[in-house]
Amino acid sequence: MNRGIAILVGMVAFLALGMTAFIVTGNQPEATSDREVGLSKSSIFDVPTPAAFQPDESEPGEESVLARPFAIAPPLVPHGVADFLPITRDANACIECHQVAEKLEGEPTPIPASHYEDLRNAPGKTRSSPVGSRYNCSACHVSLTDASPLVGIDWPQAN
Amino acid sequence: MSPITTRREFIKASLAAAAAATMGFPRAAAAQPADPEAGWRWDKGVCRFCGVGCGLLVATKGGRVRAVKGDPDCDVNRGLLCVKGYANARIHYAEDRLTRPLLRMKSGQFDKSGDFVPVSWEQAFDEMERQFKRVHAELGPTGIGIMGSGQYTIQEGYSAVKLVKAGWRSNNIDPNARHCMASAVAAFFQVFGIDEPSGCYDDIELTNTVVLWGANMAEMHPMLWARITDKRLADDSYRVINLTTFGNRSSDIADTEIIMKPNSDLAIWNYIAREVVERGAVDEEFVERHCVFATGPYDIGFGMRGTDQFAYEAEHDTQRRQREVRLTREEAIGQRRDPDIEHVVKQKSAASAGKHWRISFDDFKRALAPYTLDFVAPLAKGDPDESLDEFKNKLRRLAGHYVERERKVVSFWTMGFNQHVRGTWVNEQAYMVHLLTGKQAKPGMGAFSLTGQPSACGTAREVGTFAHRLPADMLVANPKHRQRSEEIWKLPAGTLNPKVGSHITKMMRDLEDGSLKWLWVQVTNPFQSTANANHWIHAAREKDNFIVVSDVYPTLSCKVADLILPAALHFEKWGAYGNSERRTQVWRQQVSPPGEARSDIWQMMEFSKRFTLREVWGRQPIPGLQAAGFAQGALPDVLAEAQRLGYSPDDTLYDVLFATAANRKVAWPDPVAEGHENATVRHADIDWFPEKALFQEYVQFGRGHAHDLADFDAYYAKDVRGLRWPVLNGRETRWRFNAEHDAYVAKHAPGADFAFYGPALKSIPDGGLERVTNTRASALANKAKIFFRPYAAPAESPDANFDLWLATGRVLEHWHSGSMTRRVPELHASMPTARLFMHPQDAEKRGLADNELAWIESRRGKIQARVATDGRNRMPRGMVFLPWFDESVFINKVTLDATCPISKEIDFKKCAIKVYKAQV
Repeated sequence: MNRGIAILVGMVAFLALGMTAFIVTGNQPEATSDREVGLSKSSIFDVPTPAAFQPDESEPGEESVLARPFAIAPPLVPHGVADFLPITRDANACIECHQVAEKLEGEPTPIPASHYEDLRNAPGKTRSSPVGSRYNCSACHVSLTDASPLVGIDWPQAN
Repeated sequence: MSPITTRREFIKASLAAAAAATMGFPRAAAAQPADPEAGWRWDKGVCRFCGVGCGLLVATKGGRVRAVKGDPDCDVNRGLLCVKGYANARIHYAEDRLTRPLLRMKSGQFDKSGDFVPVSWEQAFDEMERQFKRVHAELGPTGIGIMGSGQYTIQEGYSAVKLVKAGWRSNNIDPNARHCMASAVAAFFQVFGIDEPSGCYDDIELTNTVVLWGANMAEMHPMLWARITDKRLADDSYRVINLTTFGNRSSDIADTEIIMKPNSDLAIWNYIAREVVERGAVDEEFVERHCVFATGPYDIGFGMRGTDQFAYEAEHDTQRRQREVRLTREEAIGQRRDPDIEHVVKQKSAASAGKHWRISFDDFKRALAPYTLDFVAPLAKGDPDESLDEFKNKLRRLAGHYVERERKVVSFWTMGFNQHVRGTWVNEQAYMVHLLTGKQAKPGMGAFSLTGQPSACGTAREVGTFAHRLPADMLVANPKHRQRSEEIWKLPAGTLNPKVGSHITKMMRDLEDGSLKWLWVQVTNPFQSTANANHWIHAAREKDNFIVVSDVYPTLSCKVADLILPAALHFEKWGAYGNSERRTQVWRQQVSPPGEARSDIWQMMEFSKRFTLREVWGRQPIPGLQAAGFAQGALPDVLAEAQRLGYSPDDTLYDVLFATAANRKVAWPDPVAEGHENATVRHADIDWFPEKALFQEYVQFGRGHAHDLADFDAYYAKDVRGLRWPVLNGRETRWRFNAEHDAYVAKHAPGADFAFYGPALKSIPDGGLERVTNTRASALANKAKIFFRPYAAPAESPDANFDLWLATGRVLEHWHSGSMTRRVPELHASMPTARLFMHPQDAEKRGLADNELAWIESRRGKIQARVATDGRNRMPRGMVFLPWFDESVFINKVTLDATCPISKEIDFKKCAIKVYKAQV
């Protein structure tokens, strides 16, 4: 690559991506400043100002379901949860809504059959209510904010 | 792909991230593949994250990890995983994986002020070697060190400890686990003479009372919490009590939440013990036969540096407490002193904090006498908005659970106890009450220290990757232990260094004072995770030193490093972990590491080729060394003795430590692989199986010493989901020290029902509460010690200027410093930043509303975070909580590096700060 063009490209990259020490030369290997290493693009001596993120505040049913990270991963919660947490011994709003037999359009996603089998104490039997070890829904199913990924992931969606 | 492999790739990755920002998280695709699992190969594995040690099934196809799920056959988690556990598949694939070594360079040469440039492994090791040899020539073995991990596989930790201790003759190896469970370890040694819990997770189903002491299990041990929740929902007589400094998710399931002040757990335990004694609940037969009473000095300081040469101006007042403490009124009462006069106490026992002696039961009772409910309740009540009467009722009921003869009780704790300026004491106090009541080492009963990391037990503790340890509970300071290790390792006598090395926080301090100048960081992110970080990041960047960081992703520690080495991630290597219940579990390599990433074992083996015996086994200076059989200040030249053992001075450490004759006989390929590859073997171009050979060598240390592990292959058997050691004749041990369950009891005390047979610290002098009175030691074989420990105020408490308590900790969604989990889109999107949890009134008083920006400032540094006044944590007024996973909310610039003086573990749960509104 022509050295002049390379420098120009480097400057464009600098401006476009907010990088401060991006050095490009014709023959030398590229160098990266420690500011650019890692998730926070700043010096370790700086004090960054953290961005504000908005939690999902949609009502259940308002938005369509979210893609699972992979086929057998637990579903992500496609609605806000602030009104439904905490889950206490006396109140579990998740189970109240999701303990339904089948998936109907616009209705809650049913708790799957796996959640009615107690693999520790009674494997092979189906209970009438979800097993106690799965009572803390929020341990596996999370609601999202509007935060974008910090870095891409090499994970084909059709995985 | 590395972020910095090529400019084009870098820009592409950045643009992809920017594009994703406008799209939001993807909604479900209309069409799902008919059979998503077609062609998946399943194998058993272990979760990469917390100390629970959930069994996984991992699916691969086409050389990639496709999915994980909870292993229904693993007794730990029976088919369940938490949200983070499910991320075990995707953690391998974020686009900024480190795939090439990166060295700071200018004009083609290493330069500490240079930028990172990709180099070959050869170039990387050349510079690493040059720097090592420069520092080694200047400072000897104490000038170099490794910071290791409770996330090391067993074999990685074993390789590291052997390389550092046997090869380099240094004891400067210490893991992040020092920050995690060192206090638990110190107490195990002092109470039982042997490390790790007597019970196991089966206790959860067998007990009827669970008390959490500084352990938010709902977030930090979620699949154990699932078991507790299951029991509680099914059984109305089952009781769950959550003692904590703030309300959290564990409180949501608990019967009782007890909000206590930082450090007041010391007083609460003594109140309970006093009740046990007063109400005749001592199990006299158990105590008489199996226990003795003990105590130690109170004037032990706070594990800070004795000098304030390096302290910032604002740190001097806290630092002074290392040398001299003015007792609070409560401390005076708790130490049986007159509270109406001033007591200024020189901290004379700071360097001998672990010293202890035997006392009588009468003295023990006398020591407990001040800890009445009327004394303890006002001292301990942590929520200013709760009435004292209500709080007293809760403490009374809590004591009642321990007192009640028929009630089974398990007390669980994690970082609330361990990260504590009196961490060893408060661990010992838990055993105090459980031993007094005979509720220890029995099914469903016991004080049970949970660990934080996946192999803090299996590797850091059992292998002994600590500055003072050798494998299987042995200690470098013990000549017999060194001799035994030298025999197993086939080393010349006198090779091993008897002087305890620098613990991980001291290594940071050593960087600052220039006594350590070459550091290799493995499987951890210490520049983010160590308290009072401003000191350490400046020392790392501005002093004469060379810092190597091996990792899978660029972390905050990588930003600090001089050389970054790309490592293999979890399922890209063979490994074994040991969890909190002594269960050793294994996995096979599932996929290949990307690019030039290499397993940590490969890295250590290759680097060891760069040292001949002549360079490291000659006479070596060790400043301050004074040990029987050693010349003062130096390790002997052992080269002549090495030649008698058949070594040549030109042999490399690789020949002597790794590719030994015995190890080279452990052939690769091996049937246990069942077609899985071994990248360590491929990259090293060898025909032996390092992970198996090293494991088989390692098990020699523990066998016959109550740490018996099974053979490598046994753990890979189809029907095995880990085995809890000691494993004797193929059978695991669920309850140690209990004759019905542990074969070692009969060996040590034939006919006894219990024997606390740990061999360490079993010969102590006699004394009164204040001091030793008879220096002749009495032997205490098979006895556990019941310690009296007094209440002590923290190293630093809020005052008019720094008016709030700060605690830090983890969250469910992220693992430690977030280097893996923050790159998993759903985990990041659910928990994108660390927020400052505070009481709404505390926020309002400072003009702060939810999600607004605040400064958080201590004597040591200041950072910004956004405020959270509701959500999963409910803070009492006066206390704030900020998780530490987020490198851009670098809370360890604010925290205090005071430690438990016995365990040297940092107290991350309490220091004084102020919070004020940030102008945007």
